[in-house]
Order: sequence, then C-alpha cells, then structure tokens
Amino acid sequence: MADVVVRVEDLHKSFDALEVLKGVSMEVQRGEVVVIIGASGSGKSTFLKCLNRLEEPNRGRIFLEDVEITDPKTDLPKVRRNIGMIFQQFNLFPHMSAIQNVMEGPRTVLKMSGERAREHAAQLLDKVGLSDKLEVKPGQLSGGQQQRVAIARALAMEPKVMLFDEVTSALDPELVGEVLSVMKQLADEGMTMLVVTHEMQFGERVADRVVMFDEGVILEEGPPDKIFQRADNERTRRFLNQLHWEGD
Amino acid sequence: MQYQWRFDVVWENFPIMLSGIGLTIALSILSMLAGAILGMVIALARLSPWTWLRGLAYCYTELFRTTPLLVQIVWVFYVLPLVTGIAFSPFYSGLVAFGLNIAAFMAEIYRAGITSVGRGQTEASLALGMTNAQVMRRILIPQAVTRMIPPIGTMWISLFKDTSLVSAIGVTELMYQARFLAVDTYRPVEIFTICALIYFVITFPQSIGVNWLYHKYRTRE
Repeated sequence: MADVVVRVEDLHKSFDALEVLKGVSMEVQRGEVVVIIGASGSGKSTFLKCLNRLEEPNRGRIFLEDVEITDPKTDLPKVRRNIGMIFQQFNLFPHMSAIQNVMEGPRTVLKMSGERAREHAAQLLDKVGLSDKLEVKPGQLSGGQQQRVAIARALAMEPKVMLFDEVTSALDPELVGEVLSVMKQLADEGMTMLVVTHEMQFGERVADRVVMFDEGVILEEGPPDKIFQRADNERTRRFLNQLHWEGD
Repeated sequence: MQYQWRFDVVWENFPIMLSGIGLTIALSILSMLAGAILGMVIALARLSPWTWLRGLAYCYTELFRTTPLLVQIVWVFYVLPLVTGIAFSPFYSGLVAFGLNIAAFMAEIYRAGITSVGRGQTEASLALGMTNAQVMRRILIPQAVTRMIPPIGTMWISLFKDTSLVSAIGVTELMYQARFLAVDTYRPVEIFTICALIYFVITFPQSIGVNWLYHKYRTRE
C-alpha cells in the first residue's frame, strides 16, 4: 500500500447557511507536493484550515497517518504539532525576535531545553537565509523575511506535513521569489506539502499534482502539465486563462 | 457686599484634611488591586468556552456598569449586611464596593485588550500545537498588556476622584473631612476650594503620566 500521510473523506463545512465545502476527498502521499488552485471563495483556504481543525468541519473524516484528526477524542494540540501551517498574513509573534518565534513551539509545546531549541532555531533560520536576523523583531523585517521566519517556525516542530495558505499573496511582487525558493527547497528535500496559491509557475515547476477547487468541490486534478496545458474541464481552462490576463 | 475670603480657617484645620488624604490614597490603591485581580478572573470567565460562565460574567460586568457607583456604595453599606449578615466598617464597605466595581471595568479592559490581538495570533499558536492556556499565557496576554496600560491609567484617575463618594457612608477620607470642616467652620467656600485644589494637585501629575503612556503605546503600534 502506498504511504499516505493525509487522508480526507467527504469533508463538508458550512458557515451558517453558506456551504463552503461540499464533500471533498483527497489522499496525499509522503513527499508529495499538492498545489491547490481555484477562484477566491472556492473553499481552498477553508479546506486547509479544516485539516488541523482551525476550522471545525461539519461532516467527513480527516486522518494524519493512522490518527483520526476529526475524532472528538483526539488530543488536538498533540496532532497539530505534526502539521505545520504558514499563513497569508505571516502571523509571527510581534513581541518576540525572529529566533524566539522559531523557538516558541519547541520550548512551549515540546518542552525542549532553551539551549537545544536555540541551536535548532538558528540552523533553521540559516536554512531560510536569515542567519543575520536572529535577534530582529518581526516589525523590522520585510514581508518576505517575515514569511521565511514563519516557515522556519513551522519547520521547528518537524512536521509530517506542511500547509501553505496563500503565503505569497500579501507580499510585494519582488519579495515573492525568495519565499517560493525556500518552499521549492523544502519540496526537493521531500517535505509533504499542501499549497494553496495563485502562483501558477510554482505549481508548474514544483507540484506533483494540481487540484482545482470550484464551489466547494474538487473540479479536476492531475499532474501540472495536464492541468495547465490541457485541462479537461472548461471552468478550469477559463480560470487559468483569466489568471494569465491578470498576470500580463 | 463682597465675599470676605478667610483661608486661615483652612490652614488651622489643614492637618484634619491631610489625614483624609491618607485614606483616599489607601482606598484607591486597595480598590485598584482588588479590582485588578477579580477583574482578571471575570475577564477569563468572559473569554471561556462555556456559555453559562460567559453569561454569568457578562451579567456581572453589566450590573456594575449600568448602576450608579454611589448606589453601589450605599447598597453595600446598608443592604448587604441585611442580606448576608456580614457588616463591614465604612472603609471596608467602600473597599468592597469599589473593588467589585473596578473589577467590572478592569474585566472589560482585559477582555478588549486580549480580543484586540488578532485572530491570526491565536491560529498560529494553535497550529504549533499550543493549548488554549499556553496561547493565553505566551501569546495573547503579553501582547495585550501594552494595549491595556493606557485605559487602566484613565480608570485609575477616575477611581482616585470617585473615592470621594464614600464620604456618603462616613469614611473619613478627604471629602468627608472637607464636609465636616465646612459645617464646623461655616466656611464651605474656602474649604471646598482647597479640597478641590488638593485633588487637582495629586491627580494632575498622574493625568500627565497617563497621557504620556497613551502617547508612548499608541506610537509603538
């Protein structure tokens, strides 16, 4: 049997009367990079937030390896350690320096010693190219730098899967590249990743599979060249065309 | 005929007025401490996941925010002993009333401070695997504290002046002494003028301090 890290079965989520997810199922293999595309409001961000139950699904089941995340008896904080999440707005802790941000999870959640956590955090910040910014507060960093700290913060928990929720959407265009190249590096190292993004080039180059969300369901999925060059579905093609126009 | 100001009666009785200031300051500080601690409990109740506890805390804060402070003071002094059988001295009645009242306002300040920290901070912390208590202690409260300082300062100034209300139940603080002396000397004009001046002299520097705090923490955002 294939090595499945994340399994989602028939996921439903509504906000009051608005049905955002209408039965989404997905399996993600270890080391796979799944890029999720779709118009705003298609449910892709909600889908990611359901995976670690930052949003509570109404129906359906989610598994991380053999642990059912949606089981009410599951120790939620304990499962979440294994699921790294990066947000559009970075959400760094503004009262802590870069290295403290990265140390916070290991220190508070894993009860790691300060010395070990600091050493590990310094390595991770070096990995994302910020070894000269260890003691700098997020307010003094550019958006791209903040997002790289956020990636290091998630990596510090040594997650089994990482969720990227439109992580470059709030960045100035010239800062997008530095974040994407860190993400590409992670993908090359074999990290399992679910990436919600509008960066189609990233999808083309890095994704193993592209999933098109539309109105709360998976409209179509496949390898990137298939989806980007010869999508079966008319709506997918129209969505991708529209993006091209916007990019020009 | 012009009014003949006679400030000498004030200076003759100045020690009595000064003795009242001590109680005013003591009542203010103790009320603030009690309110700060009880307010924290109420704020946590209002932010708790349990509806019934949130409701209880909500009723508490609204009860104290929508009734006059003077009524609360008088109620604690005259009615509470009848209801509970516990009678406090005037000073402790004042302290109980103020402590309960300040707690309601402090709870709102705490709550506003904590909820003003964006939802994203909570999400990022939970995603790391923190428990709700850890999120509160490590992430929300440290950020909320700086935002709470200016409104707490403002409330402290109000509290300091409002302690004059306990003269109504016979606490011998500054205002009580002034009222006593006004009757005793037939010189209410001078006495109350100096009384106001004393409040001003003590409060004004604090007010400047609070403005400074406002400025400091506003520009830091």
